[in-house]
Amino acid sequence: MKRIEQGVTRPAQIAVEIDGARVMVHPGETVAVAVLASASQRFRDDRSGAARGMFCNMGTCSECTVWAAVGTSPWRRLRGCLVPVEPSLRISTRDPESRP
Amino acid sequence: MMTSLNSRGETSNFDILIVGGGLVGCASAWHLARLGLKVLVAERGHLNSGASGQNAGSLHFQIERRFLEQGEKAAADGARIVTLNRLAIEEWRGIEHMLGRPLDVAMHGGLMVAETEEQMALLAFKVARENELGLSTQVLDSAQLRERAPSLSPHLAGAAWLADEGHANPRILVDAFAEGAVEQGAQIRTGTALTGLSMARDGTYRAVLSGPDGELRVNTPRVLLASGHWTARLAGLLGLNVPLYAAPLMMSVTDRTEPVLPYLVQHVGARLSMKQTEDGNLLIGGGWPSRLVRRADGTPDLDRPATVEMKNLRANLAVAARVLPGLAQRSLLRTWTGTTCISADQLPIVGEIPAAPGLFVAAGGSLFTLGPVLARLLARTIAEGSPPEELSMFLPRRFAHLDAFAVLP
Ligand SMILES: Cc1cc2nc3c(=O)[nH]c(=O)nc-3n(C[C@H](O)[C@H](O)[C@H](O)COP(=O)(O)OP(=O)(O)OC[C@H]3O[C@@H](n4cnc5c(N)ncnc54)[C@H](O)[C@@H]3O)c2cc1C
Ligand code: FES
Repeated sequence: MKRIEQGVTRPAQIAVEIDGARVMVHPGETVAVAVLASASQRFRDDRSGAARGMFCNMGTCSECTVWAAVGTSPWRRLRGCLVPVEPSLRISTRDPESRP
Repeated sequence: MMTSLNSRGETSNFDILIVGGGLVGCASAWHLARLGLKVLVAERGHLNSGASGQNAGSLHFQIERRFLEQGEKAAADGARIVTLNRLAIEEWRGIEHMLGRPLDVAMHGGLMVAETEEQMALLAFKVARENELGLSTQVLDSAQLRERAPSLSPHLAGAAWLADEGHANPRILVDAFAEGAVEQGAQIRTGTALTGLSMARDGTYRAVLSGPDGELRVNTPRVLLASGHWTARLAGLLGLNVPLYAAPLMMSVTDRTEPVLPYLVQHVGARLSMKQTEDGNLLIGGGWPSRLVRRADGTPDLDRPATVEMKNLRANLAVAARVLPGLAQRSLLRTWTGTTCISADQLPIVGEIPAAPGLFVAAGGSLFTLGPVLARLLARTIAEGSPPEELSMFLPRRFAHLDAFAVLP
């Protein structure tokens, strides 16, 4: 999966953090796009441990749910496909509170 | 089994036409096919697309709050359902064995909690009545409740406990009945709606089914309307009155968490049902209404999904979080709506319509919990030609006066 580049102009990229790694995204893109732009492209795991991806991209299925924080704000769970990225955004695909 | 049609596109091959592929329709089909009847099930959408696939999956056998909130007369009437609830407990204990597959049935107990002394008094009244009727509920004071369910709020005054309560998975039960029914020779047609129904001179029924292959005309001696809240409307095709009223509800589910709640939780003084699924999600409901969509003329449109009522959703979640404080840390994943029905006296209406011999209905009330046992009793009624004693207080004949002016055939 990759961004359409030809004939498209986007604002300059900003950096967000996903599971500790730096990912470059364009303002106006959603948190879900940021996860897709990351190396793992992984949203959550099912109970067998297999990866699940986003499904509807319109706020209906909740498959894109991740934890997000801005800077040092508390973590919140949100549907990634509904929320735009912003500077200092941190995303976690696993419960940050239960991580070692 | 193929449907053989005569030159006019009619079939008379079935002993019974079942309208509706929800829990009641599919469980009845399963029993009737096993009893040797030739069964045709017509489901307008897909199997389990009605209330049977949208409900909370609670197995509640204590007298429901809706009976208690209408005063002592209603509470006394409601108590009569306890005898049926006891049969339902047996039914659920054996259902996975009967259908030969796991159905996420968890019967680890249920609590109906109280927050005030007044509510504790209501619980005591209820528990006394239940025990008279052979249901061994038990009052727990707040200390006993804390011991049993430490995740619940320390501010609760106590609860009524019943060891048999629990929950099951509404997403898989109907499929299990439907597959078993087909194995026994039943025919199931989905995407197929009953669009016409009349009685012929000889007392048999002429049904028109509209499906993907056009219209099918079925001549049959018996029809079972297992059509949930649509049952009243379909009985109307024959000019009959079945007093069932739509009850649009909503349900919510949170993200997964570690096991915190092995029991079904209800509330005696507020609308609440809460449980944790095998995957760890918390399911929250309890009878809060959603909003029916209205047609241009103001009448409710029962063919469109009801919409979430935000005020009621907030109130529902507030009660839930008061009872289970840890809920505040969870995220709400989804809220959905579903429509079921209640009858004029709140008890299920199950059996043959006196004004229309051969026409059967089964709807009204908590028919996830009661559906499997009612389907068994109804199938016996149909196969044997008369209802077993256990059904006597649920028969449609208590509303026979409503059909005093029906003209049939
Ligand atoms: C949100 C919610 C929560 C609930 N929680 C509980 C609970 O925890 N415990 C409990 O015991 N009960 C609960 N209930 C009630 C329970 O779900 C219903 O009583 C039960 O599912 C009824 O089953 P049914 O087969 O009669 O109806 P349905 O499942 O509604 O099936 C009726 C079927 O008939 C079909 N149909 C309608 N018209 C036609 C037509 N013209 N032709 C062909 N097919 C037609 C429909 O498409 C539908 O599939 C709840 C209900 C709701 C909505
Ligand atoms: S992808 Fe379905 S809710 Fe976001």
